[in-house]
Amino acid sequence: MCRDEAQLMSLEKVIFGFFVLLAATLNFGFFIGDISNPALHNEYELFAAVVVNLIATVLKFGDRTQIGAVHLATSLVADLQLIAATLTWVYATQISTAGMTPEATASVVSLSGGALLANLVSVALLVIETTTFQRR
Amino acid sequence: MRRPVPRGRFHRHTAIARPAEGASPTVFLVLRRMRAPLIVLILIFAISVLGLTLIPGQDADGNPVRVGFFDAFYFMSYTATTIGYGEIPHPFTGAQRLWVTATIYLTVIGWAYAIGSLLATLRDRAFREAIALRRFTGTVKRLREPFLLVVGYGQTGQLLGHALDSLGRRMVVIDRSPEHIDTLDIDPYYSDIPGLVADARNPHTLGVAGLEHPGCEGVVALTDDDEANLVVAMTAALVRPGLPVIARTVSPAIEHRMRAFGSPTVVNPFDRYGDHLRLALHQPSSYLLMSWLVHEEGAEMPQPSRPPAAGRWIVCGFGRFGHKLTEDLRADGLEVTVIDLRLDAEPGPGMIEGDASEPSVLAEADLAGAAGFVAGTDNDATNLSLVAAARKANPSLFIGARQNRPANAPLFAAMEIDWLLVPSEMAAREIYARLSTPMLWRFLQEMPELGDDWAADTLDRMQAYCGAKLGALWKMTLSEREAPALQPWLRSGVAVGDLLRSPRNRQKRLDAVPLMLARDGETILGPADDVPVRPGDEVLFVGRPYSRRALIDTVTNRVVAEYVLSGREVPAGWVWQRVTGKIPTGSQSTDSPGRSSDDP
Repeated sequence: MCRDEAQLMSLEKVIFGFFVLLAATLNFGFFIGDISNPALHNEYELFAAVVVNLIATVLKFGDRTQIGAVHLATSLVADLQLIAATLTWVYATQISTAGMTPEATASVVSLSGGALLANLVSVALLVIETTTFQRR
Repeated sequence: MRRPVPRGRFHRHTAIARPAEGASPTVFLVLRRMRAPLIVLILIFAISVLGLTLIPGQDADGNPVRVGFFDAFYFMSYTATTIGYGEIPHPFTGAQRLWVTATIYLTVIGWAYAIGSLLATLRDRAFREAIALRRFTGTVKRLREPFLLVVGYGQTGQLLGHALDSLGRRMVVIDRSPEHIDTLDIDPYYSDIPGLVADARNPHTLGVAGLEHPGCEGVVALTDDDEANLVVAMTAALVRPGLPVIARTVSPAIEHRMRAFGSPTVVNPFDRYGDHLRLALHQPSSYLLMSWLVHEEGAEMPQPSRPPAAGRWIVCGFGRFGHKLTEDLRADGLEVTVIDLRLDAEPGPGMIEGDASEPSVLAEADLAGAAGFVAGTDNDATNLSLVAAARKANPSLFIGARQNRPANAPLFAAMEIDWLLVPSEMAAREIYARLSTPMLWRFLQEMPELGDDWAADTLDRMQAYCGAKLGALWKMTLSEREAPALQPWLRSGVAVGDLLRSPRNRQKRLDAVPLMLARDGETILGPADDVPVRPGDEVLFVGRPYSRRALIDTVTNRVVAEYVLSGREVPAGWVWQRVTGKIPTGSQSTDSPGRSSDDP
C-alpha cells in the first residue's frame, strides 16, 4: 500500500523539482565562462535565471516544515544575489558611461556565482527530501 | 518491569496539547493562498518583458534597434500598473504595438487576480478566525492578574460578567455564538475582557483560554447546554485538579455526573426556586435578608413581597422545574395539584392531564379553593396567559411564574407576579455571591437555621447602621499579615465590639455590622459585641465604605489600635514616643504585651 502511494508521481513534486533544478542550471549557465568577458555571459540567461528563481521562491511559500523553511531561506538568498547582479548590470549598461567593462562583468558574474551556491544547496535539500520520503 | 498505574488516579497535572494551528503565524496562511496568483503575475511579466526585448524596433532614423531588458522592464512596469508614460526609448513599430496590446490585457488580468486573491484571503473566515485566535491567545498569555474562565456568555454570563467586572475581577470568556462575544466590545466594561468564539467541549479551547495559565483562579460553566457544562467541569477537574469550578445545570442527572469529577459547585436555578419559596413561606425575614445580601453594593432593600400562602398549590407544567418545585412543596407538607399536557408520572390525586389554558381543565383544578398558583412551563406566552386566567378565576391567589426570556421582563412586570423565577438571574446572583465573597455564601447557607426573629433583628441592625442601601461586604482576616497592629491585643482578648469603635472618637461605633465570625472551620453567626476574637479569625462585615477604611486603619496602625482598644493616645513618631515615654503596646519588645484595656 505505502509503496504504491510513494511511487505515485505527484504533479506538484514534479513542478517543484523542475523549477528548483531549472533555477540552478540557468544560474550555472550564466555563471560559467571567463568571469570578466561580457561575451561569455548572456543577459537573456540572467533574465531567465531571475524569473525562474522568483517562481521557485513563490512555490516554497507556506510550507511550515523545517526543511520547507530552509528551502525558502536558500531561495531568498539566491533571489537577493541575482537581483543584486541585475542591478549591477543595469548600472553598468544604463547609468555608467563606461558600459560593460571587464570589472563590471566580473562583479555581475560573481554575484550570480553566490546565487549559484544557494541554488546548489536548494538542489541538495531537494535530493535529501526525496530520499527520506522514499525510505518512509 | 513497572507496575501499571492504578486506575482512577487523575490527581496529577495533565497538559492539554495546543493544536498546531494555534501557534502558526497567520502570515503563512496568506503566503500559501498567494502562491498561484504570484506565480501567474511573475510569468506574465517575464513573458511580456522577454517578448518586448525580442521584437525588433527602430530608432528615429529607421535603424533597427532592440529594446533592452531594463527599458522593457521599465515599460512593462508602468504599463501593467496603468500609469503609462508613453513609448520609450523610441516610438514603437507595428509589431511592438501588437505585442504590447496583448501584454496589457495579460498584465491587467494578472494584477486583478493577485489583488483579488489577497483581498479574498484577508476577508476569509478561516483567516480571520486564525487572526482572532492568535490575538486571543496572546492576550490571555499576557494576563498578569488572576482571572476567571467564563464558559458561556448568554444571559447568565453577561449578568455575572458585569457584576464581577465592576468588582474589578478579570475574566476570559468563551462562547459558541459570535453575538455573545460581540457584546464584550459593545457593552461598557471597566477592563478589557478577552473573548473567543469557540466550542468549549473541545479541551484545546479551554487550554487556549488559559485553563493551564497560573493566573486562572476558577472556571465558571454557564452554557445553556448541560452536556457542555459537564465537559467543561470534567476538563477542568482533570487538567487542573483542585481548581474551583462552578457549573450551572438544570438536570439532576448531569449534576450527579459532575460531582463524580472533583468537587465542583453545581448551581441549579430550578432547585433554588423551591428552596427560596419554602424559606419565604416559613421565614419571610430570613428570605428578605438573603435576597438583599446577594445584590450588589448600593442596592435598596427589596420590598417585602407578599408572603406565600400555605394551602393547596397548583403547578402548571411538570417539566424539570415543575418536578423540583412539586417535590419541594410536598416535602413541606403542602398539597399540590399538577397540570400538564403529558404527565409522565402516575396519574393520581392531584395530577391532571390536559391543556391548562382550557377553562374546563382549570375548573377541574378548583382554583377557588387554592392558595397558590405557579405557571412554570418553558413558554413565556403560555405562562402569561395562564396567570391571567388564574387571576380571573381567583383574584386572591398567590401567583408564581417562570420567565424564560429576558426580553419578556416588562410583560411579567406588568402582570405583577408575586414570585417570579428568572433562571438566568437566579443563577447569576448565586454565582456572584459565591465568587465575590465566599464567606457570604457560607453565611447565607447557615443563616436560616437561626430563625426568622434573628433575621429580622439583623435586618433592623443593618438598616440602622447602613441605611436603606446595601453597604459594602468585606471579609477581614485577623492574621499577622492583615492585622499586624492587633496581634499583641488579640492574645489578651479583644471583643468584636471593641474593634468596631471609631478611631476618631472611641465612644462612637463604626457603621458596620459583623455578620459572621469563622474560626477553625466553626462559625458564629451575627456575633454579639462581647464575643472575643482570636488571632487568625475571619470576620464578615457589612457596612458603609468609610467604616471599612477605618477598620483597616485600626488593625494595621499600632497607634490607632492603641487608641481604639485602650483609649490611650500615643504619639505617632518614634522620637516623640521615646521623649514622652508613651510607646504603643506592640512596640515594647521587652514588655509583656499582656496589657489589658485601660477602659473599665
